Amino acid sequence: MTQTNAPKMAAKDVHVFYGDNHAVKGISLELRRNEVMALIGPSGCGKSTFLRCLNRMNDTVASCRVEGNITLDNEDIYAPKIDVVQLRARVGMVFQKPNPFPKSIYDNVAYGPRIHGLATSRTDLDEIVATALEKAGLWNEVKDRLESPGTALSGGQQQRLCIARAIAVNPEVILMDEPCSALDPIATAKVEALIDELKEGYAIAIVTHSMQQAARVSQKTAFFHMGDLVELGDTTQIFTAPKKERTRDYITGRFG
Amino acid sequence: MTNSAIFFVLVLLALVAFATARQRSLRVVDGDTAKLHSLPRHYGYFAATCVLVPGLLVLALWLMFGKSIIEGLVVNGLPDAIQAEYADRITLLLNRIRLVVENASTQETNVDILAAAERFHSLYLKGLWAAFSLSASFGLVGLYTAINRTKADFRARNVFERVLNALLILSSVIAIATTLGIVGSLLFESLRFFAEVPLGDFLFGLKWSPQTALRADQVGASGSFGAVPLFAGTFMISLLAMLVAGPIGLMSAIYLTQYASTRMRRIAKPALEILAGVPTVVYGFFAALTIAPLFRDTGEFLGLDIASESALAAGFVMGIMIIPFVSSLSDDAITAVPRSLRDGSLALGATPSETITKVLVPAALPGIVGAFLLAISRAVGETMIVVMAAGMQPNLTANPFEAVTTVTVQIVALLTGDQEFDSAKTLSAFALGLVLFVITMGLNIFALRIVRKYREAYD
Repeated sequence: MTQTNAPKMAAKDVHVFYGDNHAVKGISLELRRNEVMALIGPSGCGKSTFLRCLNRMNDTVASCRVEGNITLDNEDIYAPKIDVVQLRARVGMVFQKPNPFPKSIYDNVAYGPRIHGLATSRTDLDEIVATALEKAGLWNEVKDRLESPGTALSGGQQQRLCIARAIAVNPEVILMDEPCSALDPIATAKVEALIDELKEGYAIAIVTHSMQQAARVSQKTAFFHMGDLVELGDTTQIFTAPKKERTRDYITGRFG
Repeated sequence: MTNSAIFFVLVLLALVAFATARQRSLRVVDGDTAKLHSLPRHYGYFAATCVLVPGLLVLALWLMFGKSIIEGLVVNGLPDAIQAEYADRITLLLNRIRLVVENASTQETNVDILAAAERFHSLYLKGLWAAFSLSASFGLVGLYTAINRTKADFRARNVFERVLNALLILSSVIAIATTLGIVGSLLFESLRFFAEVPLGDFLFGLKWSPQTALRADQVGASGSFGAVPLFAGTFMISLLAMLVAGPIGLMSAIYLTQYASTRMRRIAKPALEILAGVPTVVYGFFAALTIAPLFRDTGEFLGLDIASESALAAGFVMGIMIIPFVSSLSDDAITAVPRSLRDGSLALGATPSETITKVLVPAALPGIVGAFLLAISRAVGETMIVVMAAGMQPNLTANPFEAVTTVTVQIVALLTGDQEFDSAKTLSAFALGLVLFVITMGLNIFALRIVRKYREAYD
């Protein structure tokens, strides 16, 4: 194994319980740099729950219990010495519905860098904001109105703003929870193109209901069903020659 | 036969109408309710309405005008001599007559008055019977019409809907009319006050001492009506109350929405709201008997001169009282901020407290401001605590350790006991009430507008 494709994050035998409900049953998979992994499967199969374990967002749900082992650069992220705040700065997240803060575009992007003290001066911060917006492909559309509210943008622009907000803190991993499900096809195409560009430099995991989207943006695909990881493999293989019957049934639209 | 008997007869008649119309509606279709346009009970409701509305209308007219018409007739029937004697004191004359009618006066010897009382009594009885027979016959006519109209294709349900509609309109008209009436009386009496005391003296005068001379030769009681000390007292006590309630209420709201476990929240939230259920008079003696002495003794210990009736004690206890207003409205405002914003901030590596101060509170700010404003207007209108704990002296001072008084307390002081209702002293209460009303109404409108604007942003 070479240095570049050593796993960035690795999950081993991860179980998640909501009270008595066993939502995720023994998932093991690895996220690598420069690679997009798509998590597909019918609603309620545990893929979003699993994704939220990777940056410990499930900590905010009181009844939720996580078992198993998840590592970031070989460090257990559930170990007591791990600072959740630091972890979430390294593992960013983009949500299903665009959720810009009711602040200006500039302040939305500058929010993370300000919290983490990434900029020492205003020019530094300007630089970080501009770079993040450029990476998110939003710079040209908003550069003349950085002070207008983030909530005034269109849905697709809001989602790209949220992506810019996430990458402004320089994460190593980006988790996306159905980032296009609230967007129209044109905005979706833009976000997909963006994901494809972003994979240079980041490890990305994306939960999606659209199989076309999984096929378009990902290199690896994991198929979840009823809390199990049914099949994991190269995207082309999963979509052209699935090994398991359940995967084939799902991909051909027989259920889900 | 009394007025309430008429009412009961009408109700009885309405019940009969309900039962009859319902039965009849079933009979016209031989029990097959599917052929009826409306349900049988709708025909019943319709019939009951037909009886009650005209009958009650007659009763209401009798109650409103009956007595004064009879009184007019009786007075006109009296000899001219007596009428002339009481020319501008008709009420006194009527009282004399009434006393005889009610057998309260056995000393009445004037033959004319006795005759008038006799006449009054017989006229009243006649009027009562007339009212009874009129409303009963109106009711019967209504009953007859309703029964006649009970056919399979009569839209009783729709007609009854209109009746309900009218009832709802009537209720809201009553509520609005009462408010207008209160405002009108405040305004009217205040105008009488301002005819005696110039508006400028009232609004900008620095001395409040409402004792006026009763006789021309009395000294030292000219009365001065400068309301500034009262409004300053109100302002200071409200400010002290908000200094207590603002931070405590807001922080407990933050704790309850963000940090408390579900179980803790289930216990703590109702417990906090119990504070709102404590009668203000209880807060009052808590302030006067517990807090004020405590402050005074602490002040002595620290070498401060705190009066045993101080603005501080009243403001502090009032602050405790309005904590639930601040906390529960702020709680609602913070809860209404979408969870996705909170998650978004946490996912960027913000700590819970950073999320609260940088995202949740700014997003909920309009709601929180609204909560504060409503709490202030509650504090401004509060009386009982101040009466008991802050004293009655209209001091113009910025020192919270001294006794002060507020607008509401002075209104109470002005209007308790026997008062003549045309002196400037009494009328000044209405002027104070009017200004207070304008202030709290302004605050409420402002607060509600802010709250509404904020609701629109997230719904």
